[in-house]
Amino acid sequence: MSVQNDAILPKGVSRKEFDKAIKKFRALLGEENVLVKADQLVPYNKIMMPVENAAHAPSAALTATTVEQIQGVVKICNAHRIPIWTISTGRNFGYGSAAPVARGQVILDLKKMNKIISIDPVMCTALVEPGVTYGQLYDHIEEHDLPLMLSFSAPSAIAGPVGNTMDRGVGYTPYGEHLMMQCGMEVVLANGDVYRTGMGGVEGSNTWQIFKWGYGPTLDGMFTQANYGITTKMGFWLMPKPPVFKPFEVIFENEADIVEIVDLLRPLRMSGTIPNSVVIANILWEASSGNVRRSAYTSEPGRTPDLVLEKIQGDTGMGAWNLYAALYGTQEQVDVNWKIVSDVFEKHGKGRIVTQEEAGDTQPFKYRAELMSGVPNLQEFGLYNWRGGGGSMWFAPVSEARGSECQKQAALAKGILHKHGLDYVAEFIVAPRDMHHVIDVLFDRTNDEESKRADACFNELLDEFEKEGYAVYRVNTRFQERVAQSYGPIKRDVEHAIKRALDPNNILAPGRSGIDLDTYKKT
Amino acid sequence: MLVANVLAFALLTASAQAQDGGRWGSGKNLYDNVCGQCHAPEVGVGTAIAGRGLPEDYVKFIVRNGFNAMPAFPASFIDDESIAQVTEYLSTLPAPKALP
Repeated sequence: MSVQNDAILPKGVSRKEFDKAIKKFRALLGEENVLVKADQLVPYNKIMMPVENAAHAPSAALTATTVEQIQGVVKICNAHRIPIWTISTGRNFGYGSAAPVARGQVILDLKKMNKIISIDPVMCTALVEPGVTYGQLYDHIEEHDLPLMLSFSAPSAIAGPVGNTMDRGVGYTPYGEHLMMQCGMEVVLANGDVYRTGMGGVEGSNTWQIFKWGYGPTLDGMFTQANYGITTKMGFWLMPKPPVFKPFEVIFENEADIVEIVDLLRPLRMSGTIPNSVVIANILWEASSGNVRRSAYTSEPGRTPDLVLEKIQGDTGMGAWNLYAALYGTQEQVDVNWKIVSDVFEKHGKGRIVTQEEAGDTQPFKYRAELMSGVPNLQEFGLYNWRGGGGSMWFAPVSEARGSECQKQAALAKGILHKHGLDYVAEFIVAPRDMHHVIDVLFDRTNDEESKRADACFNELLDEFEKEGYAVYRVNTRFQERVAQSYGPIKRDVEHAIKRALDPNNILAPGRSGIDLDTYKKT
Repeated sequence: MLVANVLAFALLTASAQAQDGGRWGSGKNLYDNVCGQCHAPEVGVGTAIAGRGLPEDYVKFIVRNGFNAMPAFPASFIDDESIAQVTEYLSTLPAPKALP
């Protein structure tokens, strides 16, 4: 196994040129931080998409520990036209994991840059390096008894704030829109300059993690889901830990209830009565994250019949839709808001309210409550056990927070998934005005025929949603070029003009979000 | 770097994960923070791995390659020494009552 990987090179780079670059990388980073052997690279090539690993195989991986090293890396890349794919913790499962968007790109792995540079418990801010995980932050906060609460995505224990925020991920607390809570970035540009956003360029400033906008153009968002720079530090705001936290669930029996659920919720979210990113999970999301396996109910291939879903509902007490939300604040605040919220659902009459006292330690209530209160876990990976086989792609169209729209999207997605013999496993993440309609396209990646169906299904989902004016907010590396097309040619022209200005040699993650100077043709 | 100036008033921690004797410090720490998050019997997401006498080579192979939905971890995330430590730690834990 421990042999040099000779088969894979970056696109357009000769072996001779590649070897020159590797020699320079070794001089810069040390032998042990330049990985070229097959057994060193295999962990970076584990993907969940319905395509051969070879399509996303790296030619090498570099591990850097300082900003200066990263400056040196981009200098070498420019000299030899080496494309690099940067990862922080590489845990972007279902979106491409750690693997590069294109075969042959060199991975720049920043996991070893894992310093929590500062946490200010008074101003409730943090500044971290890319390799810091939420689990590490949680341990730090607990160890130092800091009155702070984290917000993170479901793979919280092993993922980190830099990677999640740079991919515009969301969490489940009142601070769940992570880019909104980001404050200050340090970015190494392709020319080696170190650029600090917001107040970060002001000598002696103490407001880099305090005030987002700085002066003049505010560029933080431009670096997310993009390939314009390498983020080496990121600041973000932390929620003060509330004295009282009250999670709850409302269980709805019927699929058609989604319209009323959303229309009931929207005013509560807009008014801030419910402050956090509410989740409405369908029966299959709820069941699988609660460790229910498909194999316990059927061995038939294809989509799971509705009768089975009803049986699971009957057996488990789970709903067709399961709403999770929480209240935060002093006892008085929570009491007032609880009365407002519970009155709304009791008056509506279709939902069954479950409190933490009633749920106890049962799953999935327990892990949902943990996610809403900043306690990391990996319970939601139970999703992958529903069908088994390790195939997963997130299809995540944006929807209005309007009941009729959610129902329309759910019906459209379900029909397409069923046509391809796959299940509708979905949740809505509810902001005041928008919904992230997150669907896990689960398939058995060890089954070639099923993988092909999943691939065709994902293409059809993108096509049919686009016809209705819908598009996803984020997508796995296999479909990034396709989704870029949904957002129109002018946007793409602008993105490539920025790319030409900042990275004329196209060394930073070419292909990320469809931005690639070598392949893009202006319309 | 400017960080020290920028954050002179803040609680400067410069905290990083343990580097000595394996990146994770101990097998228990790695199990509690990563492996056990799925594989602990009370979680039930991944197959129980405690107390089963799993050989270090096998643990390393699965950690590096992943298996089905189990993700793969490069050495930057879980180094070889930490794999050895967690293998040793797993051997000290009681076997699950019934293997899945």
